[in-house]
Amino acid sequence: MSDKPILIVGGGPAGLSAAHAAAASGRKAVIVEKADRLGGAPILQGYAKLVPSHEWAKDAIGGMVARVQANPNVTVLTGAEVQAFDGAPGAFVATLKDGRKLEVDAAILATGFTHFDSLNKPEWGFGTYPDVVTTVQVEQMISSGAGIRCPSDGRVPDRVAILLCVGSRDRQIGREWCSKICCTVSANIAMEIRELSPKTNVYIYYMDIRTFGLLEGDYYWKSQEEAKVKYIKARIAEVTSDGNRLVVKGEDTLVKRPITIPFDMVVHAIGMDPNVDNMTLSAVFGVGLNRYGYIDKATTYAHLAETNRPGVYVCGAATGPETIDDSIAQGQAAALAALTGAGVPMLKAAE
Amino acid sequence: MTAHAKLPNPPISDPVSDLPVVPYEKLEEIFEDIRKHPVYDHEIHGCLNCGICTATCPSAQYYDYSPREIVQLLWTENLEGIYDAMQEKIWACAQCYTCAARCPFENSPGGLVMIMREVAIKHELPSVKEVLRPFSRVLLKVVSTGNQLAPNMITKEAFPDWGPNVAKVDAPLMLLRKAIPMPTMHTLDTAWEVNLKTSVELYTIWEATGVLKQLESVDENLFDVVSDVMEEKRDEWEEWLEDNEDEDDD
Repeated sequence: MSDKPILIVGGGPAGLSAAHAAAASGRKAVIVEKADRLGGAPILQGYAKLVPSHEWAKDAIGGMVARVQANPNVTVLTGAEVQAFDGAPGAFVATLKDGRKLEVDAAILATGFTHFDSLNKPEWGFGTYPDVVTTVQVEQMISSGAGIRCPSDGRVPDRVAILLCVGSRDRQIGREWCSKICCTVSANIAMEIRELSPKTNVYIYYMDIRTFGLLEGDYYWKSQEEAKVKYIKARIAEVTSDGNRLVVKGEDTLVKRPITIPFDMVVHAIGMDPNVDNMTLSAVFGVGLNRYGYIDKATTYAHLAETNRPGVYVCGAATGPETIDDSIAQGQAAALAALTGAGVPMLKAAE
Repeated sequence: MTAHAKLPNPPISDPVSDLPVVPYEKLEEIFEDIRKHPVYDHEIHGCLNCGICTATCPSAQYYDYSPREIVQLLWTENLEGIYDAMQEKIWACAQCYTCAARCPFENSPGGLVMIMREVAIKHELPSVKEVLRPFSRVLLKVVSTGNQLAPNMITKEAFPDWGPNVAKVDAPLMLLRKAIPMPTMHTLDTAWEVNLKTSVELYTIWEATGVLKQLESVDENLFDVVSDVMEEKRDEWEEWLEDNEDEDDD
């Protein structure tokens, strides 16, 4: 067994999980994280309570960070980026931007995603009206303890609209995927808004609702039956303002009439874009991207985490929109693949 | 089995409508013409019924018209509904294509409406003549000059669909026009000065693209008038050419 460490790029849920799994099996791992601290999107972006556990992100993912930091088998390099990655399975050399070189056995890309930038859908008012916000901003309002307030004047909103599929399922802007998590996250946020601010009414505008699997009961129905969140089948045409409140224009497609409704706050349920660094990662690590721009998986069934380059593995939202819990599972799968050298041709079997 | 289904050739129709029953074969024929249109597959891909097209449609605000309904009828191959929409609804579309610019799946309800209009004309649906009759003056202007609207057309008679209470049409427009401190009186028949050569080229386009043929099926009288105008203008053009040749010879 090699005594070289396994390089893990990215310190979010998938990377933390991969590092813990590798270290738990007795191997060394090095996490190279671009940001100044570990935790990935749930920590860096200030998520509130997670789906489906309802645990606070700073406790759940913070716990994973602490577990990895306390593990002597794991070296954490923050504020670091891999600039070059040469060699072959079992004898890779990763060169960091500061010139440091790491000799590693294999690499796991746990590089995650980038939130969709709502400025790319100007008709929905983000960047024009301060009370048009994203799901991430609402997460921050909740996790910071500031509460649900309109950014323009700090008032508690009477009426909040959540628009689904912002930056997802939209060929006009080249986002031809479902971001998978936003329906459930929005139902979760809607329930949290109702809990924090019972006088606030929350309306969700949808094309489809995809609270898949067991999330149906705890999110889709619970949000309606217990939290009294209203679901309206309509994709909003535009968000404007009458000078006081936001004005939302759509068609209630089940009642079949165009509607124009005032709101105090409009929330974009933003989707998951491929990481903006994926082109660079593709070039540095020699891995292919799929037609959507995510890191391509070599096989669907044989070894979950393989890329097209032997010895380089991938997990989590780097491969496409992914939930936190599935990213964690994939991190473990990638660790196992790296430990066993999955997909690496045995050139020297005779020796 | 219902009594309806026992009929040898069950007519498909609205049981409470007094409109004549359209044979199913005819409905199929009309849909086939729509479906086989060269750009049909480009204009429709699938629809989640999200309604952003109807929400954004200016016509849907005022008429019993919904671009989402058009897409749904075609996507689900609702032959009766398609035929029904072709009677009046498709003529409410202003062809602004905002629907196409907004649809997350890049459908073009406006483009589908254009196809349905072509097919409605091809099949000479009686409704086509009814719907287009009020626009015969506009059609004449467009086909003969390329102008859609000219200052001397701003009359109630030219636009019966404007209704009786259009204040500006009652105003002394010619007088007001004279008060404009720049020359405007030279373009009353057309919105701008129409080049003779352009007109003649336009006629070639109308003929080559089948527009004239469509016009004949929609409004035979108008077709005759337009044909006369075309002949006249072509003669003028020929004369102009001859005159110029003479000048060159000199």
